[in-house]
Amino acid sequence: MMTIVAHDTLVWFAKTFGLIYLVVLSVVVLCYAFWPSKQKEFDDASASILKKEDRPWQ
Amino acid sequence: MFKLHYKLERRAIGLTLAIIAAASIGGIVEIAPLFTIDQTVEAAPDMRVYTPLELAGRNIYMREGCYACHSQMIRTLRDEVDRYGPYSLAVESKYDHPMLWGSKRTGPDIARLGGKYSDEWHVRHLINPRDVVPVSIMPAYGWLMDNALRTDDLSGQLAAQRAVGVPYTDEMIANAGADVYGQANPDSAAAAGVTSRYGEATTVRLFDGDPQRVTEMDALVAYLQILGKLTDAASQDTAAVETQ
Amino acid sequence: MLSKLTKGEREGGLIILLAMTVIGLVIAIAGRGDPISAHGFLIMLFSMAVAVPVMRHLFDPEPSRDRLDSYYDDPSKVGVVLTFAWGAFAMFVGDWVAWLLVEPNLTFSGAWSSFGRLRPVHTTGVIFGFGGNGLIATSFYVMQRTCRARLPDQLSPWFVLIGYNLFCLLAVSGYMLGITQSKEYAEPEWYADLWLVVVWIVYFVLYLRTLSRRQEPHIYVANWYYMAFIVVVAMLHIVNNLAVPVSLFGAKSHSLFAGVQDALTEWWYGHNAVAFFLTSGFLGMMYYYLPVRAGRPIFSYRMSIISFWGITFMYMWVGSHHLHYTALPQWVQTLGMTFSLVLLVPSWGSAANALLTLNGAWHKVRDDATLRFMMVAAVFYGLTTFEGSFMAIRSVNSLSHYTDWTVGHVHAGALGWVAMITFGALYASIPWLWKRERMYSPALVELHFWLALAGTAVYVFAMWNSGIIQGLMWRTYTENGNLAYTFIDSLVAMKPYYIARAIGGLLFLLGALAGCLNLFLTIRLAPGEAEAERAGSGPAYGRPSAAALQAGE
Repeated sequence: MMTIVAHDTLVWFAKTFGLIYLVVLSVVVLCYAFWPSKQKEFDDASASILKKEDRPWQ
Repeated sequence: MFKLHYKLERRAIGLTLAIIAAASIGGIVEIAPLFTIDQTVEAAPDMRVYTPLELAGRNIYMREGCYACHSQMIRTLRDEVDRYGPYSLAVESKYDHPMLWGSKRTGPDIARLGGKYSDEWHVRHLINPRDVVPVSIMPAYGWLMDNALRTDDLSGQLAAQRAVGVPYTDEMIANAGADVYGQANPDSAAAAGVTSRYGEATTVRLFDGDPQRVTEMDALVAYLQILGKLTDAASQDTAAVETQ
Repeated sequence: MLSKLTKGEREGGLIILLAMTVIGLVIAIAGRGDPISAHGFLIMLFSMAVAVPVMRHLFDPEPSRDRLDSYYDDPSKVGVVLTFAWGAFAMFVGDWVAWLLVEPNLTFSGAWSSFGRLRPVHTTGVIFGFGGNGLIATSFYVMQRTCRARLPDQLSPWFVLIGYNLFCLLAVSGYMLGITQSKEYAEPEWYADLWLVVVWIVYFVLYLRTLSRRQEPHIYVANWYYMAFIVVVAMLHIVNNLAVPVSLFGAKSHSLFAGVQDALTEWWYGHNAVAFFLTSGFLGMMYYYLPVRAGRPIFSYRMSIISFWGITFMYMWVGSHHLHYTALPQWVQTLGMTFSLVLLVPSWGSAANALLTLNGAWHKVRDDATLRFMMVAAVFYGLTTFEGSFMAIRSVNSLSHYTDWTVGHVHAGALGWVAMITFGALYASIPWLWKRERMYSPALVELHFWLALAGTAVYVFAMWNSGIIQGLMWRTYTENGNLAYTFIDSLVAMKPYYIARAIGGLLFLLGALAGCLNLFLTIRLAPGEAEAERAGSGPAYGRPSAAALQAGE
């Protein structure tokens, strides 16, 4: 029942696709992290947890 | 307000989906090909399934946590092969649901324990390991000799094993209770049924030395004596061993 | 505490508990003759015990609307207490089994107390009991603060916390009764696994609902780590525990996978439980508590994001390094090893990020044992991830695998990283949660810190020694080409290290007990914040000063 896809094909796919996925994902994450307009959002976020008031905004 | 809410939700769900996408790939890519491994792995036509008594013993092995200290996986390293015997093949554990390869050797590997010691040695060793190996730190398992083996659920155990892919026949499932008794009582009428269903090479013995009843000791010793003996494939495999 | 719940919540809770009581009774009766029957009784008694106080407060008046003006911290408080309780229990069992390896007769004659049954009690108690409760308690705290939103309702957090502890109880009591599916770190049987799935779905939905109540579009990075913990653990748990039960009212099940597929699935699970339970969740803890306690924003927010995706993506590939030189195909082993090495980059990114955040606040680290717990945790995280990558190299693994080195590595992570960051986060939260000025005794926190550090160091050094000696003895040949040592020779050589390990564990346990005492004293005796302010002394920590914010920006 497992002969629909050959073992060698799957192994080949595993070896190549994983690498491609790694590279693409790295690029996407680096772009996201270093996107210039995101700078302010990140700065605000890292400062946000240090605010004094200890109650919900609503 | 609704619009903001919607946007916020979308971010949180987007994050979740991104996590799933990033995290699932590695597992899929590595595990999926293994389900086609039958195409490449060595065949073992002589491979037999565990008898009900051995399967019950295996359940006891799991229940007592033996796998925490004993591995059942001899690696392809020269010293391991010299110490324990031919290295383990994938096919040897193909009926092991779940596998018991283990991850720690506080005690030695026991993948090829079967036939190495007598039944009597195992019984004494399990009742108090220090009687036979004075410096051993293995726990004593005295209750195995006291507990009668539970047999009422064995047909169900075999049926569940078949459901996950082990080729037990209807006949094996129906006779599980009788086969347990037969394998541990060679003089009984039920003994012949065991060898007819599981093969002539099946060990039919008075494992715990007590003919009165079938104990958990019978089951565990029967299991320990079959380790590495379900197939002969490993001793025929002559591939080179890696040296460090 | 219970009168803070609305009437509807109290009624809903009671219905769930009564339904659980009935289910427990059905399991107890239908499963008689099978070990599952004992668990039926356990579920029934547990549900009844929780139902009693709910019934006593059932007709209390509706709580005032004021409650909506503050965060809902009661589940976190109970979670903190449970974390300490599970920690003390599981570390005690851990030290017990450590002594059993020195002197195997130090136990009772009953089956329940043999090494093989107690060992999973220790691992489950520590990972799921101590670690899991710590994660749940802090995640409720952190998600509310970072979203600046109250939990959406007051029933589901209780369901998650209490339901999760029921799972832990079923797991731990099951091993002692002989109920286990023997998959390492996933030993609970099918029905406990199913129950955890239910609890986990409620937990996940609760997290999403809280997130959707926030005002800022951006989600603070600690929540990403907590989310990854919740989502991926669900995925791992479900796939690895696929099994066919023998009967509907029987404890035993048979794993769907066999042999080599099962081995890889198990270690895919096993290693990623380390990644997403013991790393991702605790990194979430670190990315909130460490900056807040130090009063400084995280050194690089970008680095925390890059590390996040690095860890989330790459960990999934590395499980196969547990199976070097086995019957697993070699290409999978190589892939596991390669990704293990690359994984060092995001791991060290997180460790460096934590330590650089403290740059400029070292005087606080010197004076404040709570912050020092977190600092040491970050150092151990860096060391352990380096060691892990190193041990994933095939040739190193050929020596280290199956030996005590692995045990030492795991404990460097569990004691040095997981427990230290948890204790740091708990010591920071306790005064905040109970509105106290500080912990009752800073001296006890200091004592706990040094006991924990000494215990970890003794433990890890003992296991490095024993592991490497073991590995070398097993592979040493005489000049004639025979193996130089029998297995028993190596066992005898381990004895001094096993004694040292048990002593190290004892020190760590004593530290945790000092923590329990301090928790009790803080809840009972420490002055409240209001009183302290009246006396003219403001809270010492946890309130960032303006000066600290500017330094190093």
